[in-house]
Amino acid sequence: MTKKLKYDLVAYALFAAVIFLAVPAYLNFEGYELNTFARYLSLGIVSLALALSWGTAGILNLGQAATFGMGSYAMAMHLKLKSSQGLPDFMSWNNVEELPWFWVPFHSLSFTLLAGLLIPASIGGIIAIFMFRARISGVFVAVITLAFLVAFQLLVIEQQGYTGGQNGLTGLAPLTLLGWTVDIYSLSFYYLIAACLFVAIMIGIYLVHSKFGLILRAIREDADRTRFFGYNVASYETAAFCISAALAGWSGMLYTLVLEFASPTYMSVSFSLAIVIWCAVGGRESIIAAAIGAIVVNLLEVRLSDVFVEGWNLILGVTFVLIVMFMPRGLHGVVAGANDWIARRKDSRVSNAKHSNLKSRPEIKGGQ
Amino acid sequence: MDLLEVTDLRVDFGGLRAVDGLNLNVSQGEILCLLGPNGAGKSTTLDLICGKTQLTSGSIRFDGHEISNIPEFKRVRYGIGRKFQVPSVFKELTVDENLQVARSKHSGLLQTLSKFRHRHSPEIERILELVGLETRRADMAGNLSHGETQWLEIAMLIAQDSKLILMDEPTAGMTIQETDKTARIFESLRKTHALIVVEHDMSFVRQVADRITVMAQGKKLAEGTVTEIENNEAVKSAYLGH
Amino acid sequence: MDVLFNQLFSGLSMASILLIIALGLAIIYGSMGVINLAHGELVMLGAYATWALQHFFGFSILLALPFVFVAVGAVGWLIEKIIVQRLYSRPLDTILATWGIGIILQQIVRIAIGPESRFVSGPEILRGNIQIGNVYMSNYRIFVIVLSIAILGATWAIMTRTEFGTKLRAVIQNRSISECYGIESERIYSLTFAYGAGLAGVAGALITPLFSTIPTMGTGLVVNAFLVVIVGGLGSLFGTALAAVLIGQATALFSIVMNDTLGRIAVLICIILLIRLRPRGLFPGKTRN
Repeated sequence: MTKKLKYDLVAYALFAAVIFLAVPAYLNFEGYELNTFARYLSLGIVSLALALSWGTAGILNLGQAATFGMGSYAMAMHLKLKSSQGLPDFMSWNNVEELPWFWVPFHSLSFTLLAGLLIPASIGGIIAIFMFRARISGVFVAVITLAFLVAFQLLVIEQQGYTGGQNGLTGLAPLTLLGWTVDIYSLSFYYLIAACLFVAIMIGIYLVHSKFGLILRAIREDADRTRFFGYNVASYETAAFCISAALAGWSGMLYTLVLEFASPTYMSVSFSLAIVIWCAVGGRESIIAAAIGAIVVNLLEVRLSDVFVEGWNLILGVTFVLIVMFMPRGLHGVVAGANDWIARRKDSRVSNAKHSNLKSRPEIKGGQ
Repeated sequence: MDLLEVTDLRVDFGGLRAVDGLNLNVSQGEILCLLGPNGAGKSTTLDLICGKTQLTSGSIRFDGHEISNIPEFKRVRYGIGRKFQVPSVFKELTVDENLQVARSKHSGLLQTLSKFRHRHSPEIERILELVGLETRRADMAGNLSHGETQWLEIAMLIAQDSKLILMDEPTAGMTIQETDKTARIFESLRKTHALIVVEHDMSFVRQVADRITVMAQGKKLAEGTVTEIENNEAVKSAYLGH
Repeated sequence: MDVLFNQLFSGLSMASILLIIALGLAIIYGSMGVINLAHGELVMLGAYATWALQHFFGFSILLALPFVFVAVGAVGWLIEKIIVQRLYSRPLDTILATWGIGIILQQIVRIAIGPESRFVSGPEILRGNIQIGNVYMSNYRIFVIVLSIAILGATWAIMTRTEFGTKLRAVIQNRSISECYGIESERIYSLTFAYGAGLAGVAGALITPLFSTIPTMGTGLVVNAFLVVIVGGLGSLFGTALAAVLIGQATALFSIVMNDTLGRIAVLICIILLIRLRPRGLFPGKTRN
């Protein structure tokens, strides 16, 4: 087992203890507070999804909010259909006579759950194939995904009869999962969301530590060189993009459950920027840190925006710029840096004591 | 049948014909050195074989497959490895991780997705010993010295285990001792791998070459053993000017 | 038919403004490889500066133009000096930093001036229309088109005919060698960034009579301008100009056939297809690699 994997698993266990035990106890198992915290947890997934594509593979996807929105709308439409007798209300207001064919299968929960993952993954996949086959990389990926996000949000707002337009989808029924009607202010709901987050983190950790993750890191550093070791770089990038999109969709589904509505603001440029900020604050190179980043920033936002009503976004913007400039690896970088420093000090003390003549060794080796 | 058969290779850059009707054969286990003045088209020839540059016309057959029209990664999968002129290793990965990337027998997406990384493999152990980097395996490649970086890249090519390895100036910037060591590493590659080496250091070439091809202005000027080439009048005039 | 010509004409005037925004972006990207996501907010600052000059001092847009150019240019200069200059070795981070700067500028304006839209009246002299057949062309829009062509010409002259331009091109080709010959690349970068920002300010001033002035106005504009830059091919001023006209007109035409939103989406799809076929734009720069 590598050292990095060991660190990740220890962090995972600690983080799980905090989320599963400490947080509910601290919040006195109080329904409203738990629900608010569940919202942060659901956002942790979209943040780690970005860490997977951006931190690992170097694909800066500024349109992550679009795939998040797809998952969110998939879940919302299922619950909307469940709550309506016949046609959803907003459709009749917009003179849509009949439920359009593409919403019909959303009556089924299993279809919805699959669609919430697969639709973002396949739409993400189409964009990814386009970009990566043409060997577009770096800043251009950022601009193209951003442009896609803008267009997608416009489309959703424009197609009022099918999507609820500016108002989004509201008046949703509660979810019924295997006969259990979900109460979003209950402890079990909190644990459901927490479990989802930890499964997602596990998937992320697995991917990062698999050979697939290693190849992604190689591609981030030098795509051409990786290609000359026989890897199909475009398909690796596409896979990373799709997996990230599916995780974002999952996050969107949970977010809709927590808030009980879906809104086109989930697909706005500023929401996408927020995702990037969470990921950057936590540390894009670590799956766990990115999830923690989302939780911390959202927690602070809720606590501080009462104090600085108008100024919160300003504070967030300034903090973000400072982090990009002076702490590009985020909170994770600070922790990892401290860790390395301690390890180095321990190392040098041991080696100084044991073999003071070790310094000449590389030259001896070199001359062999 | 030869491992690599290049026939009537031609490439144009705008108006410039960088490689012009080149024929080249390499057989299993042979070390071929490519010589020639600057701008003779040596590096371009390597680029054409590995797919970095698209040819204008001609044919490249490798191990029985026509490869001139397939993407780079597929050529690599048939067994062609490449070392670039500027040492290019993954600086933000450890020495160990660099070698794991290089060991690409199973380079498909599903294969790497299902493979959790192991720390120690006897194969990588052996290669690290061969190039003398076994104490540096956990270090970031970016912290290696220039010579060590060159050897790491050579080690990566050995780990990749290609049938044919294309080397662009493997000893550039090395000291005499380092060059000697590189020559010994090449000796150990002989027979199991075929190599095409672009090189300027004649003493190194004398040590390793089975055969030499001299290029000038995109064409083949002469071909033969080391002694044949050293006594060839056309080669002398190409290097010394007319 | 007249509808078509009227649309084409208004498309052309929008394209001109898009061109001025895109020129600034292209210069900044072309010279230092920085994707300036705060560019839209610089346009917004230009618009608000124009509004402030008119509201408090009664300046007309024409009179305000040079002041706005200098003021927004100064803001750009500061941004480059304080933030962007430290990030040249990390191109992806410049995107993030400038995105953050955009948010900061937007919030400052929202807090200081308020989120509601502001009105700027067009210049007196340019009121009225020229009528050709049934096509009405407002004098103001004609002025915008002419001015954008002039700015394109001036930029071209600066880049190719002045010592500054020669130095800039030297720095673009090879920064460290240029520094060896005594060119202060930092100063060149700062001035270039300031010039690009100044152009954004001018675009913002020109857009005020045509567009509502709100803190979020920059976001949509900057995305379009980026597409213009990409389609035009990096480092090509005339490619940028042609792409601006193409995209402006395509949007106008699609909007007649479908509606405004679908028109914009259709254009976007065309652009993505185009990028797939020609990743380096219609008129890529001539250098190797």
